[in-house]
Amino acid sequence: MAIKKILVVDDDKPISSYLIRKFTKLGYTVYVAEDGEEAVQQAFSNLPDIILLDVKLPRLSGIEVCKRLKADDKTKDIPILMLSAKAQSFEINEGLEAGADKYLCKPMSFPAILDEIRAYDKQ
Amino acid sequence: MLKKIYDKFLNLGILPKLIISYLILSVIPLIIIGYIATENLTDTGFQAARRAEEMGKENLKAAEDIGKTSIADSVQALDRKAKEAIELRTVELAARIADFLYERDREILILASFNPDPERYLNVYRTTKKDVIVTDPREAGKSRRSAVKLQTRNPENKEWRNFPPLDFHKVSKPIYKEITFIDLQGREKIKIADGRISNNLTDVSRKENTYCRAEDYFPYLANLKKGEIYVSRVIGAYVRGWLYKTREGIRVKRESAYAGKENPYGKKFEGIIRWVTPIYDEKGKKTGYVTMALDHTHVMEYTDHVFPTEERFTVLSDGGSGNYAFIWDVNDQCVAHARDFFICGFDPQTGKEVPGWLSQETYDDYKKSGMTLEKFVQKLPSFRNFTLKKSGSIEQMKAGEISLDCRVLDTAPQCQGWHEGTENGGSGSFLLLWSGLWKLTTYAAIPYYTGPYGNSKRGFGYVTIGANVDDFHKDANITKAKIEKSILEQGKEIVHANSKTRQLISERALYNRHLILIISLLAGFCIIGMSVVISFNLTGPLRRLTESAVSMSKGDFDQSIDVKSKDEIGQLAKSFNEMAKAISEIDRMKSEFVTIASHELRTPIQAMMLGVSGILEGYSGEIDEEVREDLALAKVGIERLLHLVENLLDLSRIEAQKVELNLSRTPVAEIIDRAMAEVSDLALAHGHTIVKNVPADIPDIPVDKDRMVQVMINLLSNSIKYSPDGGKIIVKTAKEGNETIFTVADNGYGVPEWAKEEVFKKFFQADSLMSHKVGGSGLGLTITKGFVEKHGGTIRCESPVPEEYYPDFPLGGERKGAIFIICLPLTDVGNV
Repeated sequence: MAIKKILVVDDDKPISSYLIRKFTKLGYTVYVAEDGEEAVQQAFSNLPDIILLDVKLPRLSGIEVCKRLKADDKTKDIPILMLSAKAQSFEINEGLEAGADKYLCKPMSFPAILDEIRAYDKQ
Repeated sequence: MLKKIYDKFLNLGILPKLIISYLILSVIPLIIIGYIATENLTDTGFQAARRAEEMGKENLKAAEDIGKTSIADSVQALDRKAKEAIELRTVELAARIADFLYERDREILILASFNPDPERYLNVYRTTKKDVIVTDPREAGKSRRSAVKLQTRNPENKEWRNFPPLDFHKVSKPIYKEITFIDLQGREKIKIADGRISNNLTDVSRKENTYCRAEDYFPYLANLKKGEIYVSRVIGAYVRGWLYKTREGIRVKRESAYAGKENPYGKKFEGIIRWVTPIYDEKGKKTGYVTMALDHTHVMEYTDHVFPTEERFTVLSDGGSGNYAFIWDVNDQCVAHARDFFICGFDPQTGKEVPGWLSQETYDDYKKSGMTLEKFVQKLPSFRNFTLKKSGSIEQMKAGEISLDCRVLDTAPQCQGWHEGTENGGSGSFLLLWSGLWKLTTYAAIPYYTGPYGNSKRGFGYVTIGANVDDFHKDANITKAKIEKSILEQGKEIVHANSKTRQLISERALYNRHLILIISLLAGFCIIGMSVVISFNLTGPLRRLTESAVSMSKGDFDQSIDVKSKDEIGQLAKSFNEMAKAISEIDRMKSEFVTIASHELRTPIQAMMLGVSGILEGYSGEIDEEVREDLALAKVGIERLLHLVENLLDLSRIEAQKVELNLSRTPVAEIIDRAMAEVSDLALAHGHTIVKNVPADIPDIPVDKDRMVQVMINLLSNSIKYSPDGGKIIVKTAKEGNETIFTVADNGYGVPEWAKEEVFKKFFQADSLMSHKVGGSGLGLTITKGFVEKHGGTIRCESPVPEEYYPDFPLGGERKGAIFIICLPLTDVGNV
């Protein structure tokens, strides 16, 4: 399956806008959500191919978002890459237990993030 | 020594301290006081008992002394009284004998006033009689009436004594054996003998015709004037006797003369005393002499039954007892005695006097003298060398001729005493140790002075009474015995009472000691119990405080101690709880801060990273070389910033004891290889060679792989940074016992001695050691040490490197070298 639609969830405007611009430029359809609730709505309404999910989010945390998405049949197969500044091991474990397919610690270079997404593209 | 004990005491816990202190302060003084009290009490008790015993003994001694004195006094008094009584009895006996003899004087004078007439003489013979006590045991008891002691009917008559009259069996016996009338030539004209007028008339001027052929009175008659009386000595046939010694004492042979109780069936001494007085006719012409032979039995009768004891009189006197009376004539010859063989007498065959008993010594002299015994005795000076030390002659004893002639009886000093005492016609007494017994002997002259007896104041002679001293102070002796018995009993009683008292004191003391011991033990238990309670109250919270503090030091700040007491400990616990709460809050805030800070720092770093990395990799279009170089610089800065953030996070975790190890069995080589790979670029940049030395057989170790890799990276980075370019770094691992040793050695600048510990402290300014600035967070070794210790291992630094250890190292100058050594336990990984 080819990755075409990416849902970027981050409340940090500079990061999300950078990612939107670069992914769009690379030909991906990019949806963006700035809080957890919005992320869940976007995921259900747009059904992206992959979700790049921040953990620390207003209204609903990334962990909750992940749990909800992974709990629903419509969204449970969407790979979720958590990208968080929370880099402590218990935080990483928390993310993985919530169902994230991969936990990436900030900061990551753009090529590294792209490599992670492309890894799912090949599957 | 004391200091050692004190130091040991200081090292003890509060509980032993309290117990020891309380024991020293309470129980030991209690025991000492108790011991002293008991000892004193016991001592005082024993002293009192001893005093009591002494007093008792003194009292007894006093009683004994008083007893002795009073006994001595009473003995003396009794002796004196008894002596006086016996003396008096002696005197009265002598007087009665004298009276009796004087009666004979009167009788003969009356008879002389009549013309000689056989019928009259016979009449006198028959009517003049006197009772004699029958001594033959076969006859003696026959007429005895029952003698009953009387009791007084009036109780006011105290200390009643009654002695029934003597009721000895008696027979009436003529006083005279013979009454005669002889003419001036000595021819008997009238003779009354054997109870009738005798026709056997003889010439008494001739001795052989007289009684026992021994009378020699006739020559003395010629000079008698009217009314003058001649009285002869006692004349009788000597009766032999034999004494022999037995174990019980001296005994008398049966064939001997009568000896009272000792020999009641023996033949009695039969003697006479002849009274003679001239008869004148109407013209006043002496016509002849009337003679009367007094039966000496009547004289002996006065003394034969005297018994100077409570009994007073006896039928059979006892010569062996020493308690008897006897009579000596004026010539000191025995004329009456309990033993008749002691009475001086004559040989009726020869009419010669039997010589008196001599001492063996004197008898031996006699034998040497060549004289006859009669002659020798006649010539023997009177009372020469009389002493008890002498003993009687055996030959005389064997002959049975042992009459007592005081004049020559030199074995009996008492003879001299009597003789001397009666010289003035008086009386008296003295003591004599006779046959081992103290005997009182009294004497009294018989005041009869008729005829030849008038020549001396001794008169007829003298009566003596012997008495056992012990007998007459018998009462005193009984009292003495009673007192002694009583003293002995009291003494025993005192000793018994005292031993009882002592026993009581001992028992009491033992009881007290037990009581004190029990009290002490109880006190000890109470004190120990109290100490335990106090100690638990004190040390319990303290222990919990300590435990909590230890937990806090290990990072568990969530501590609260449950102490309800309001004392200092309670306040301490309360303060501790507040402090723990505050620390816990601070810790929580710190962790939170670190987390937040880390998160908040990462977000802008992410933004920078995205931008810079995107541009560098060409996602933002083509860039020229200068821009690339500038952006590369920015990227290095971003990476160092990120590294710092990560180090700070690790440090905060280490300090907060929040490091969690993810243990797995890891090959040692993998750790080394990963770390070397990480630093290979940096090493290459500085021209360093890194040599790896990992033995193939080294076992895998249970560690947090990433952390151990980070540890090795940190050490290798340090070696790289703190070595002049072109250095050498050796990484070595080894298994030593239960430890796995990692060493990272370099030939770099080294670590000065003072900094070997300091290098592990956070923010240590390593630059201060260097001549040039290397730059570093100052956290690397701190984090390294934290991770190693979290694994239960140790890390230390050695510098400079000893050349013999690493011969391959080019050392010298700046290159002093440093070795970091990590020891990890193989099995135990510490607090996982």
